[in-house]
Amino acid sequence: MHKDIQIKRYLPEEHAEPFWQTFHVPYDDTTSILDALNYIKEELDPTVSFRWSCRMAICGSCGYMVNGIPKLGCKDFVRNYPSALHIEPLAHFTVERDLMVAMDEFLQHLEAVKPYLIAEQPEPTEPHKPHRQTPAQLAKYKQFANCINCGLCYAACPQFGLNPEFVGPGAIALAHRYNLDSRDHGKVERMPVLNTHNGVWSCTFVGFCSDVCPKGVDPAAAVNQGKVESAKSMLIQMFRGGA
Amino acid sequence: MKRWRGLHLEPVWWGLFSAGGVCFAVFIPAVALVFTVLAPLGVVELNDQQLQAWYGSWWGLMFTGAVICLPAFHAAHRIRHGLHDLKVGGGFWSVLICYGLAAIVSVFALWIWFNA
Ligand code: SF4
Ligand code: FES
Repeated sequence: MHKDIQIKRYLPEEHAEPFWQTFHVPYDDTTSILDALNYIKEELDPTVSFRWSCRMAICGSCGYMVNGIPKLGCKDFVRNYPSALHIEPLAHFTVERDLMVAMDEFLQHLEAVKPYLIAEQPEPTEPHKPHRQTPAQLAKYKQFANCINCGLCYAACPQFGLNPEFVGPGAIALAHRYNLDSRDHGKVERMPVLNTHNGVWSCTFVGFCSDVCPKGVDPAAAVNQGKVESAKSMLIQMFRGGA
Repeated sequence: MKRWRGLHLEPVWWGLFSAGGVCFAVFIPAVALVFTVLAPLGVVELNDQQLQAWYGSWWGLMFTGAVICLPAFHAAHRIRHGLHDLKVGGGFWSVLICYGLAAIVSVFALWIWFNA
């Protein structure tokens, strides 16, 4: 079986504008979108650029728009597209070349919410003990810990498209993941970022982020639970004076 | 002042929006069912005097809040964000017009109840 696959090319040194190019690609039931792209690069045109690494929905680097929907190339199959198939770079990000986008726009937001365990301050003086956690405590955040930073949710979010300052679904899901972790003491540091207009409050509950997430993280749930947390945090700040 | 730094009214609008959403989902269909289907079909008997007495009591105030005021703020919030999505208006004027209208509707409804 063969399929015509259209790819949106962008080669800033040669063409000022992006353009579509069609490739005739053999496929069977096991051919993923990423396999098709690799065939194109190896057999038809070595100048086509795209990112990938793991081929198993773990590294999060193969996000593209497939027929207008954000998808992981390695988790989506050519057989799912019986008619036209066109592949573009992830929406809402700056395109660097062909299917490669500047992920910094997402990573900056991710960094801002400190997505790592933060120790109690000042650090306890007694010798370090293991941090025990019960299965119930783990269950609280486990779903949000599955994020692979692929950025599909940002390509799906119309609010991020309108306002790139919006911290966005993926970063908020990870902030929420650490806030819910019984070993963490960093919530006071994360809340001021989430409390702003560009934090959880930019979300208008479109919910498409959760539809496209390849790992079932449900970032929309994290953002909207984050609104409850943010409202509480602002109330506390108002009554206590200071966060 | 540290106490107020970074605070804004969004949680208030969102709180009213959420409460109004519950009312929209729970009370408005019930009210519509009773007044537009069950009563005209004669399944429930409504008599004017009883209704008036009921409306004049605290039940009437709760009815006003749950069926008019909170849904009005819910709608205002939706419209404001819908305008933002369409890149129309935005900022202070959207806030003033949307929630202002909801506030006027609410005050008017409460005033009618108060005078009933
Ligand atoms: S929340 Fe899901 S869609 Fe968003 S970056 Fe994480 S894994 Fe990707
Ligand atoms: S190649 Fe790693 S997620 Fe697709």
